[in-house]
Amino acid sequence: MRIERDVDEISSAREKDLSEKSFSLVRLQDVTLGYGSTRVVENVNLAIYSGSLIGLAGPNGSGKTTLFRTILGLLPPLSGTLSRGCPLSRFGYVPQGAALDPQFPLSAAEVVEMGAYGRVRPYQLFSAAERERVKEVLQQIGLPQLGARPFFSLSGGQKQRMLIARALMVNPKIMILDEPLSGVDEESRRSIAELLTKLTRENDLAVFFSSHDLEMVQRVADSIVQIDKGQIWLDERKARLRP
Amino acid sequence: MSTLFEIVSPSYLLFPALVGTLMMGLVCPLIGSYLVLRRTVFLGLTLPEIAAAGVAFTFWLQQLGWLPQIGQGERGIAMIGSLTFTFIGMGLLGYLEQRSKGLAEGRLAAAYAFAGAVTILFMVFNPAGQIEVLNLLKGEVIALSKGELRLLTGVLGLVFVAMLIFRREFLLTSFDRDLAFLLKGRQVIWDVSLYLLAGLVIAFGVIMAGPLLIFGFLVLPALAAKPLVQRMSSYLMLSSMLGLAMAFFGFYSSVRLDLPLGPTDVTLGCMLIFFAYGLRRVSPKTFVALTCVCVAIMVSACGTQAPGPSVPDAKTIHADQIWLAKVKNSTALPLLLPSNNPLRSLAEMAGKISPEDYRQSVMDLLRQNLQSELGKKGFQTSLTEEKDARFPPLPSDSTGAARIARDGKLSGIVFVSEIFRWEGETQKYVRALIDFKLIRIDDGAVIWQRRVQGAIPTPSATNLGQASTDAAGKIVRDLFAG
Repeated sequence: MRIERDVDEISSAREKDLSEKSFSLVRLQDVTLGYGSTRVVENVNLAIYSGSLIGLAGPNGSGKTTLFRTILGLLPPLSGTLSRGCPLSRFGYVPQGAALDPQFPLSAAEVVEMGAYGRVRPYQLFSAAERERVKEVLQQIGLPQLGARPFFSLSGGQKQRMLIARALMVNPKIMILDEPLSGVDEESRRSIAELLTKLTRENDLAVFFSSHDLEMVQRVADSIVQIDKGQIWLDERKARLRP
Repeated sequence: MSTLFEIVSPSYLLFPALVGTLMMGLVCPLIGSYLVLRRTVFLGLTLPEIAAAGVAFTFWLQQLGWLPQIGQGERGIAMIGSLTFTFIGMGLLGYLEQRSKGLAEGRLAAAYAFAGAVTILFMVFNPAGQIEVLNLLKGEVIALSKGELRLLTGVLGLVFVAMLIFRREFLLTSFDRDLAFLLKGRQVIWDVSLYLLAGLVIAFGVIMAGPLLIFGFLVLPALAAKPLVQRMSSYLMLSSMLGLAMAFFGFYSSVRLDLPLGPTDVTLGCMLIFFAYGLRRVSPKTFVALTCVCVAIMVSACGTQAPGPSVPDAKTIHADQIWLAKVKNSTALPLLLPSNNPLRSLAEMAGKISPEDYRQSVMDLLRQNLQSELGKKGFQTSLTEEKDARFPPLPSDSTGAARIARDGKLSGIVFVSEIFRWEGETQKYVRALIDFKLIRIDDGAVIWQRRVQGAIPTPSATNLGQASTDAAGKIVRDLFAG
């Protein structure tokens, strides 16, 4: 199914005039995603605007991470046009928790600080302002007391929130979260979902997150894009729920 | 304890070696920490072996006459081989990594085996330079000269500063490559920079300290620090501190107990790892207390070995006249000094004369020096062969020596010396283990004894013969000093 039409629906899902006053942060036109000669998803047409909370639902192996990696420039699109409305350094990326190596002896605060590395030149010291910003984002995610704890000793939900804090340190215009709700308990899911909603509403961020749990995505996202068997489409049910 | 103060004094002859070892101990763990965290520890083992192959290869080329002499010593040519092979090896391993052909561990293991094998083959092809290559690969950091120390300071200083300046970039690229790409662009430059710095340290370190020690400094402190810290900054700092401790106490033990530096340091490093994992189970207070106790034990245990007394003078032992026995050689080596007379060498090759007929030995050198120093102490020395030309060298075993002396109709006191080790493979120092004793012939009682064990620096020697001559003189002078 072509979803060029969905682009407009997504952008107008929350507020009718949103698309008029904002520009697209990411636009994919007739993009084919894949690795080398392997095509994973074809004919992707998608635009993401500020202030939108979009969920990407699909089973494991359907191409969710491939789509994210393509948007982030980590994978080149096999064909089609991909354009970004802001530099890559303004993309906040939250990888799957399991993608990070627990071998590293890092405190939670050190992980969060990494989000500012793009602004700090090699010979510069980490400024007091940046340290203050770390405190701010830890406050924002509701875990100010855990900065000194070893990152890999935190629970799954706490780790996810720390990675969100790291993404916030970038001062992002758009946040892309790969399976932020998997591997965490129900309470953590709820708090992460609330955090994503809050970030979208208060900071006018675009948030694009994935999950293999369609029900969860339906509960959290304003708009839902489904991906499966090489196809990508807008979930009409969620669209119908819109006021 | 005197050794402790002696080795940290800038006037100490092995001071450049101590400084070089400490610098390696400080800088190598910074690189090694990333190798450990990136799970590429075996790279730290394989690259030094590849560098060693480069050293053997360039020596072979030089023996064939395809490479000129570079610099004054053999280290110039070795450096070129080490650097070239290290960077070619890194490039090949990186290329295969990019192409993702086979297992990373498999590639490193195969490269290690290959490098080890070709090192041996290159040495077989070049029998003339075998000793020089082996000496270099043994990595006697103890022979580090001031010029080499300056070079090492430059290289390690550069690496240290780079590791400090780019610490955030190296951490980000190692921990989260995707975020590194988003924030810093193509991360390959940081990967390449990190491996270039590692290659530089390894290529120079192999020449200065040998593959074993450089691998030990890279990996062991980093592995020991890992269970003790929870922050990256603390990890890097502790790795370096443990590297420094390993270098210092390894050097100290090596000098004090006359042990080879590389294996001593590596053994100490491995003990640090066990110690660290054990300490993880105790409280911070107990940790600090145990560390203090261990350091105190190490320092005091080594400090109990004070140098022995000097040879007493004639009045003290009420004996004006003593017998000076031939020095016994128990090394299984002839210990003949190299000849610098080409005509005699030709005659020797033609089988006309035996080397023993005209070449001086280490035993002769020691005995000449002993005779001279005993004279200064007020003794009238007589040589045992003056009594009977068949008199053999006497062993340091007092009972045996006294019995042989009595059988030879000697009486009074005899001075015996026995060499157990005399290694003079480089002109910069000689490793020796010699027992000296004054024995009363009547009852075999030992009036005085001293064991000389360790590396005797010979900084002004210009050839191997000169090194042995200088070392023999220094050993005997030390016996009589004080």
